[in-house]
Amino acid sequence: MKDHLCCCHEESPSGDRNARRGFLGQAIALLCGATAFLIPTAVGVATFLNPLRQKGQGGRWMRLATLDTLPTDGTPQRVPVIADRTDAWTRYPAEPVGAVFLRRSGEKVAALQVVCPHAGCTIDYQSSPKGGAFLCPCHTATFDLQGKRTQTTSPCPRDMDRLEVEVRNNVEVWVKFESFLLGVASKVPQA
Amino acid sequence: MRSIWHWFNERTGFGDTCVQLGNIPTPGRPSWCRTLPCAITFAFILEAITGFFLWAYYSPSTQTAWESVYYVQNHVVGGWLLRAMHHFTAHVLLAMLILYVVHNVLTGACRAPRELVFWATVGLGLCVLAAVLTGDLLSWDQNGYSATKTRTGFLMLLPWVGESLLKLAIGGPGPALGNLTLTRFFALHVGLFSGGFLLLLVIRGALAHRANAALAIDADEITPYWPRQAWRSALACLVVVAIVLVLTFRHGTATAGVPLLSPADTDPANNYAAARPEWFLVGVYEFSHLFPGQWGVIPVFVVPGLLVGLLLAMPFFARQPFGQAFNVVFMLMLLAAVVGMTYASYTKDRNDPAHQKAIALENWQSQRVRELARHEGIPPTGALTLLRNDPKTQGPRLFKQCASCHVHRADAYLMPDIKTESPSAPDLTAFASRPWLTGLLDPKQINGPAYYRFCKFRGGKMAQFVKENLGELDADEKQDLDKVIAAISAEAQLPAQRKIDARDAKRIAEGRELILNSEAPFTCTDCHQFHGKGKQGDAPSLTGYGSSEWIAGIVRNPADSRFYGKQNDRMPAYAPNTDPAQNTLSAKQIEQLTDWLRGAWHEESAANPGK
Repeated sequence: MKDHLCCCHEESPSGDRNARRGFLGQAIALLCGATAFLIPTAVGVATFLNPLRQKGQGGRWMRLATLDTLPTDGTPQRVPVIADRTDAWTRYPAEPVGAVFLRRSGEKVAALQVVCPHAGCTIDYQSSPKGGAFLCPCHTATFDLQGKRTQTTSPCPRDMDRLEVEVRNNVEVWVKFESFLLGVASKVPQA
Repeated sequence: MRSIWHWFNERTGFGDTCVQLGNIPTPGRPSWCRTLPCAITFAFILEAITGFFLWAYYSPSTQTAWESVYYVQNHVVGGWLLRAMHHFTAHVLLAMLILYVVHNVLTGACRAPRELVFWATVGLGLCVLAAVLTGDLLSWDQNGYSATKTRTGFLMLLPWVGESLLKLAIGGPGPALGNLTLTRFFALHVGLFSGGFLLLLVIRGALAHRANAALAIDADEITPYWPRQAWRSALACLVVVAIVLVLTFRHGTATAGVPLLSPADTDPANNYAAARPEWFLVGVYEFSHLFPGQWGVIPVFVVPGLLVGLLLAMPFFARQPFGQAFNVVFMLMLLAAVVGMTYASYTKDRNDPAHQKAIALENWQSQRVRELARHEGIPPTGALTLLRNDPKTQGPRLFKQCASCHVHRADAYLMPDIKTESPSAPDLTAFASRPWLTGLLDPKQINGPAYYRFCKFRGGKMAQFVKENLGELDADEKQDLDKVIAAISAEAQLPAQRKIDARDAKRIAEGRELILNSEAPFTCTDCHQFHGKGKQGDAPSLTGYGSSEWIAGIVRNPADSRFYGKQNDRMPAYAPNTDPAQNTLSAKQIEQLTDWLRGAWHEESAANPGK
């Protein structure tokens, strides 16, 4: 193993009478040694970088509720999202993977992610006689019922994440469940 | 640049050290034999590199070990190559160490002043051996599991301490290996044996350096290490990589790498019969067969132990007169014996049909578990669950009970040891399919071997009816018979007939009418019940004939009035009781058997393999 340690130099006295042969020997030693090390290292690093190829699931349309189960007065309802989840090699069938707030106004429904866009904590809904609001317990960001930030300087870089909603067959509430990057001002889907 | 180098060198002495190392005098001329220690060191570093990256994926538990290796092998780019390199380098490393030890003995290089160097080299060999043996279990596949189970079982051969050693090795009382066996073997593999190797390697290096310096004093010629020995050594390292790659791709690119068999089955009933030790232990394996079981400790521990002891003593023998000659002769004889034993063992296996069948079955099963994993993903309970829930895998195992009378001509792989010596009941291959029913309703076949020849219905009412009424049909009647067959077969809703059943919906409806009208010659409902027509008790109901529910019912209790009633021949009732504990087969087993008989399982289409 001494060969690869000595990867440098002119100083190394050759001891060879034939200087050209000495140079060839050094070149072969360095080249072979380096190649031999590079091959396994390259393969290993390539596998280590594999997670960079992985993509998130993206948005999934899911039936989360029926219209008649949502309060008509506009009080947000927290609904758990149950879905299959794949963790590397394991497939977990029907697991809780998140939750959304559903708010009904007439025949329309709005959906908000419960995950705070700031640091990923779960936002609570707090009812009050004045109409209630959303509060993140971690850094006390507050949001109104539309998910808009209510403080002048909010710890949260953007409003709560709205999700696409469709009411199908007049009763089924379908939501495109999606997660977004945390801590940034713009709403970017997690890819 | 120069000043930075100067700064660095001044503080570390790196350049000077390199020069010193490069100038290490090696006695004699540069040689290829002397490249082996360097190649061995390099192979170890290669193992450390590939091992680290495998470590980044590996998860040692019974539900995740195989699964994480499967993930590396199939879902990580280059993962299969990484695993193959780690695997084959270990074997090349061991081969080089054996070669080096043999070389040392034959050339007398183990003699003074290199005795301790030689011992350290033997120690390195034992470390690799242990690392390979512990590493073998980590992928938790059928071969590693069965081989390790046998190996750890050998510990019981040791008097007094055997049982305690076994418990320590597998992390519990056993008999199955489990989570703790994996975590222990992983720790031994990565920590003790690899760490021990590194430590010994450093010690060996220091000892060799000292011994070489001593030898160099008397040598006629001295060569500095750099570059004439160095380039040979570096080339040898590259050759190691080349050999590893050749081994990886030796079966072509399609099946390159190390195979991962199906996940370890802790059920002793599904023990992998074709498990064999690695090449370097095959000789010992064959040798052990020369001894009766109760003397197993001799070939497994005593003889190998004595041989290692003898090997360590060889440097001292060599000092005696004729000692070196003894060493050479003994080493050559030992090599010849090991090679001979190894060859004999491989030849035996190659010519053993049972062994080849077990391998074929395992290959099929490892293919199957991949298909299932691609299709439905690996459940949290692990990939073994996929096989345990798969009718295509479990059906033949369950059918063994039925095979004492019934025949089933399924794939040879699936039924390696199912043989109906003397069939005494109908052939159930493709039961209730159109071809099967066509044969049943054929006067020439109904009393034949595939149907009633060996049971009490031979020449019975049904056979009589078929002979008298279905023997001479005109063209129209033949058409009608086909419709009747299609209608009865459609009751089974066989997955294989889904398409033709849908296509022939009209003919099936007509066939059904023919049966319900009960006009000659189709007077089935005189004896059989069919959708409300006819009564139960005389013969099996044709309603839902061959469907999951129907087959499960007849397996549960053929003497039920819906099936044969009092007419039942010898078929046992496998689950007649409401209390599951009193039944031969569980509900799940019956479901799997039923699904298998009906061909109801996931099949990966050839056109669309993969996700």
